Amino acid sequence: MKKNESFWQKLLSLDEISYENPLDEQLIDAETDQPDSVLRQQSPVEYAFAEILQEEKQEELYIAERLEANSLHAWVGRQSKKWAKPVYSLLCALFCVALVVFLMSTVIELPPFGAADNPTNNEVAQRYLEKGLEETGAVNMVAGMILDYRAFDTFGESTVLFVAACSVLLLLKLGDHKDGEVSPAMLEAEWDDRHHEPKNDAILQMAARVLVPVILLFGMYIVLAGHLGPGGGFSGGAVMGAGLILYLNAFGFRKTGRFFTYKTFRWVTFVALMTYALLKSYSFFCGANHLESGISLGTPGAILSSGLILPLNICVGLIVMCIMYAFYTLFRKGGM
Amino acid sequence: MGEWIVFGISALLLITGLFLMLSAVVGQYRFKYVLNRMHAASMGDSMGLGLVLLSLCLASGDGWLIAKYLLVVLFVWLTSPTAGHLIARLEIATDSRYQDEMEMIEK
Repeated sequence: MKKNESFWQKLLSLDEISYENPLDEQLIDAETDQPDSVLRQQSPVEYAFAEILQEEKQEELYIAERLEANSLHAWVGRQSKKWAKPVYSLLCALFCVALVVFLMSTVIELPPFGAADNPTNNEVAQRYLEKGLEETGAVNMVAGMILDYRAFDTFGESTVLFVAACSVLLLLKLGDHKDGEVSPAMLEAEWDDRHHEPKNDAILQMAARVLVPVILLFGMYIVLAGHLGPGGGFSGGAVMGAGLILYLNAFGFRKTGRFFTYKTFRWVTFVALMTYALLKSYSFFCGANHLESGISLGTPGAILSSGLILPLNICVGLIVMCIMYAFYTLFRKGGM
Repeated sequence: MGEWIVFGISALLLITGLFLMLSAVVGQYRFKYVLNRMHAASMGDSMGLGLVLLSLCLASGDGWLIAKYLLVVLFVWLTSPTAGHLIARLEIATDSRYQDEMEMIEK
């Protein structure tokens, strides 16, 4: 808590001169409890001065950017040979045509869609369709396949997601010091974020107030009904993650930080992956050794049926949700 | 006879909606400035999608299906203007030369 306070204090002292967006005039910072108009009344001269400085700085930046771009263009023009551009275009066109011809010739070679003697219509698919309901207890055959017959594969997919999140964390996470002090890079990223992202946008907040609960409920429904109909952990988790991202966009990191921090992310993904691994290794162990697993399949079509598919769906949904949200926050400001 | 009238109306609505969608796509590629593009895109989202789903409502005639279509329309009509508003905000916030492209009425 102490750490956060000093962090925000530093940030707010930065924020007073960061005024730039004309639409933000009334609502530049509700978090300071000091709207812009009050600031203007308290010290009109300083305020105007800061504004002018800001504008001048921006103008300079703009000009410098244009100059740099122009010089780059000129450099490219000087370096390239005259014949290079048409030859390059010609080669590009040739490559594209060759690729199209190659791919189309492959497509023509494929067996006709839906024919009975296709190699995909073999005894594996037949067995899944005939015995699937009886063996997995899932009305939705796809869920029965990916979370029962091929659950090891789905575990690999969740792990791939987790590894991807780890590498993005390694690349983009801005570290804070061990003693709770805020690093300059974090402060800069935070300032950048508050500068460019919408803050206290009334329209977005109203829309989010209406939509976020509905989106989260719908995502949970998709996850929980994955074994009864279309849906499952991956799609439901994606919907819930999108709801969280919308909430974050509307209300900012301080609100989401109350229930979803970096620690939450770590624990939820870890626990969900471990639960998945333990549950599934138990069922693989029993199945491989012809033991009685003790997991009842229930009546097909009931919400608590089909054995392990429901908890596995919940695990996958949690992992996908956390990782979507983490990706968004990491790409946005390098932390949660 | 009644069926044919309903079919005709729904087909007309569907074609009008598809035409609006198509013009929205053309506008996306023809306009150069982000706010003009946004105008074109929002037309396809609101009017085009609304007409298409209205025609589907007429054609299906099933109560639950109509309710679901109306939910889709409600969702898109809530989200699409919000997204457009955010894009416009971002344009104003990041492009310091936006007044070259348009006039903004000062309050």
